[in-house]
Amino acid sequence: MIRDITLGQYYQTDSVIHRLDPRVKLVTTLAFIISLFIVDNAAGYIIAGLFLAVVIKLSNVPVKFMMRGMKSIAFLLVIAVVFNLFLTQGEVVFSIWKLQITKEGIRLAIMMAVRLVFLIMGSSVMTLTTTPNNLTDGLEKILNPLKAIKVPVHEISMMMSIALRFIPILLEETDKIMKAQIARGADFESGNLLKKVKSMVPLLVPLFISAFRRANDLATAMEARCYRGGEHRTKMKPLIYSKRDFMAYGTVCVYLALCVGIGRMLF
Amino acid sequence: MSIVLEHVNHIYESGTAMEFPALTDINLVIPDGQFIGLIGHTGSGKSTLVQHLNGLLKPTGGKIYYNGSDINADGYNKKELRSKVGLVFQYPEHQLFEIDVFTDVCFGPRNLGLDKKEVELRAYAALKQVGLSDEYFYQSPFDLSGGQKRRVAIAGVLAMKPEVLILDEPTAGLDPKGRDEILDQIAKLREETGMTVILVSHSMEDVAKYVDRIIVMNKSRVLYDDEPKKVFSHYKELEAVGLAAPQITYIMQALKEKGLPVDTEITSVAEARTAILNALADKSRSR
Amino acid sequence: MAIIETKDLVFEYIRRDEEGNVEGITRAVDDVSLSVKQGDFVAVLGHNGSGKSTLAKHINAILYPTEGTVWVDGMNTSDEDKLWDIRQEAGMVFQNPDNQIIGQVVEEDVGFGPENLGVPTKEIWERVEESLKAVGMYEFRKHSPNKLSGGQKQRVSIAGVIAMHPKCIVLDEPTAMLDPNGRKEVIRAVRALNDVEGITIILITHYMEEIIHANKVFVMDSGKVVMEGTPREIFSQVEKLKSLRLDVPQVTLLAHELRKSGLDVPEGILTTDELIKALGL
Repeated sequence: MIRDITLGQYYQTDSVIHRLDPRVKLVTTLAFIISLFIVDNAAGYIIAGLFLAVVIKLSNVPVKFMMRGMKSIAFLLVIAVVFNLFLTQGEVVFSIWKLQITKEGIRLAIMMAVRLVFLIMGSSVMTLTTTPNNLTDGLEKILNPLKAIKVPVHEISMMMSIALRFIPILLEETDKIMKAQIARGADFESGNLLKKVKSMVPLLVPLFISAFRRANDLATAMEARCYRGGEHRTKMKPLIYSKRDFMAYGTVCVYLALCVGIGRMLF
Repeated sequence: MSIVLEHVNHIYESGTAMEFPALTDINLVIPDGQFIGLIGHTGSGKSTLVQHLNGLLKPTGGKIYYNGSDINADGYNKKELRSKVGLVFQYPEHQLFEIDVFTDVCFGPRNLGLDKKEVELRAYAALKQVGLSDEYFYQSPFDLSGGQKRRVAIAGVLAMKPEVLILDEPTAGLDPKGRDEILDQIAKLREETGMTVILVSHSMEDVAKYVDRIIVMNKSRVLYDDEPKKVFSHYKELEAVGLAAPQITYIMQALKEKGLPVDTEITSVAEARTAILNALADKSRSR
Repeated sequence: MAIIETKDLVFEYIRRDEEGNVEGITRAVDDVSLSVKQGDFVAVLGHNGSGKSTLAKHINAILYPTEGTVWVDGMNTSDEDKLWDIRQEAGMVFQNPDNQIIGQVVEEDVGFGPENLGVPTKEIWERVEESLKAVGMYEFRKHSPNKLSGGQKQRVSIAGVIAMHPKCIVLDEPTAMLDPNGRKEVIRAVRALNDVEGITIILITHYMEEIIHANKVFVMDSGKVVMEGTPREIFSQVEKLKSLRLDVPQVTLLAHELRKSGLDVPEGILTTDELIKALGL
């Protein structure tokens, strides 16, 4: 049932992209997203597409596997395309019944579709090639300057990685409790909204109790292993930039320059 | 009146790279009133199997009949089936949620749409059946000891008046005395009500002295299905798949090898004592 | 020298009702004095609620005595300055394998303790490698803990403790939630640590077959140590164990029954071979 949901689906293989520092991947993803909003002509999208294609190729993640993620946004994509197609004013190309399709509409719809697809694919390259732990590590390091203004960066990242560790466990537990209550005649599906909300009580109470018990156990276990916050801590896998990371940063700069230069100015 | 399984298969994540058979060609007949031990280690398919018996899981192949009707046919009343085939999950105390013990036990019968009086009568009877005394009825279930919580959870299923009671590892995490108390209570309950009971366990030793029939599962298949003594006679094969027969079987086997003529099908310490005393007496007489 | 020593240890907790008024005081550990030598394998037996887990949590300074004193390697656990040294020297493994693994990858979890101790990166890797090898989980180092069996998860937890280089490991019912195979795996790993690495082991359990290899056994009931001795000495008292809600291995019980029936069989038989010898076969 619920177990089918996959979160932060990391694809285990070895590639240049997998080995990049998570900070590089975070920055690159951000840069790529920005680039999609900078460019506004075909040449720009071709550059973005090429960049994405090269990165996907380098990542060794099968394209088929990437496409699986696209299914979930297919509906969103269709809506965006349809709205842009029919609701944009401009030079009419042809009309069906009362609906008019304009030249601008076609242009916008294509742009929208391409943007969305690139956006989702770009960010999924990051989650597919970076373990959630690595990602939180990268985030912790990038946000580190915020410590100066008393943002508990270490604690936030620790919480995130614990949450990620326990999500599958709690999902499995939800499944088990649900089944146990169904075996006692509980009904989680029929009835109006109010009844549905009420029927969740036999699921949520045990789930919360279990989550609190686990949290308590985990806190004790962490203390027993000498955890005392971020101070004095060393890292097993410290983030250190290597040559390939600087090269990646360089490539991203060149890419952004091309986007601004060609995708915006020319033509 | 019985449960019949015909060529039941269950494959998890079928069609993906993670495909994994949990049940392979299971054929079983479970007649009314039998006391059955379902043995296997983690991942053998035993938990998947019992979830098929009350329709929580659908087989990916094969048929399951309850009292002659196909439980996965369209229009079959699964809710009623679940009240007839009661399933108590592992660590059932983790599903308790009401403010007091009595209200929690009422949850099952109330879901059946019974009137308030009948619900309460059933809850009361069920709590008595698991041997919980009145003083606990209006306590929060969360204040009870582990063994007591488990009794409350079992009562929660019993209150639906099932014809078949399935318990998945009812003794997990209990201490030896607590384990014996729960099993004794279940045996007593079965004697009084005559219902079919299926005990899921990974320990042969625990169930040996109670059940009439043992079904051993290994790697998604039924390995043995026979009366306990017959199953234990395969003690070497059982050991090969990581499931040991009761220690007493090994003791008797060793004694026989050393020349003491004892019955190797013995499953309890009391029987073993008598057999050894007799064999020793015969031996000294013949000398 | 004693690695663990308790003197007149008492632990009480206060029960409160919903308004926070004191309902009563429960004495979970009641006047316990015991001493464990470096390199020993000690088992603490007792039924659920006998106080054995509460006692265990004192050794790791998770709980502090209400009265009396606990010393770990000469350090008083009530001494706040020594807290982290005590927790490093006396590691602890808990019952539920899921609730003590922090990392999402096996090796990262094992590295968690050394990270907290401030061990340099290079040494963390060395420690992780040797610890995982010691429990036979090295080949799983890149796996997600969620995909492991219960026994494997517990071995990862044990590796996580070994990586902190403790002198003593307290295992609080590490096998209670495992199946028989998982139980065997864990006990084998624990015995190897004791034999090969010489780490002092304190194993808390209610499974009798797990204590046979201990040098010393303490049996607890209502917070007190009620029996103390070698496994053989403990198993010689079948009736007393039964009255403490514990049972004995079937071979021990059978020998006991035969002795009661008049045969000349000694008490405290632990294996089938011993029984065969005792019967003169």
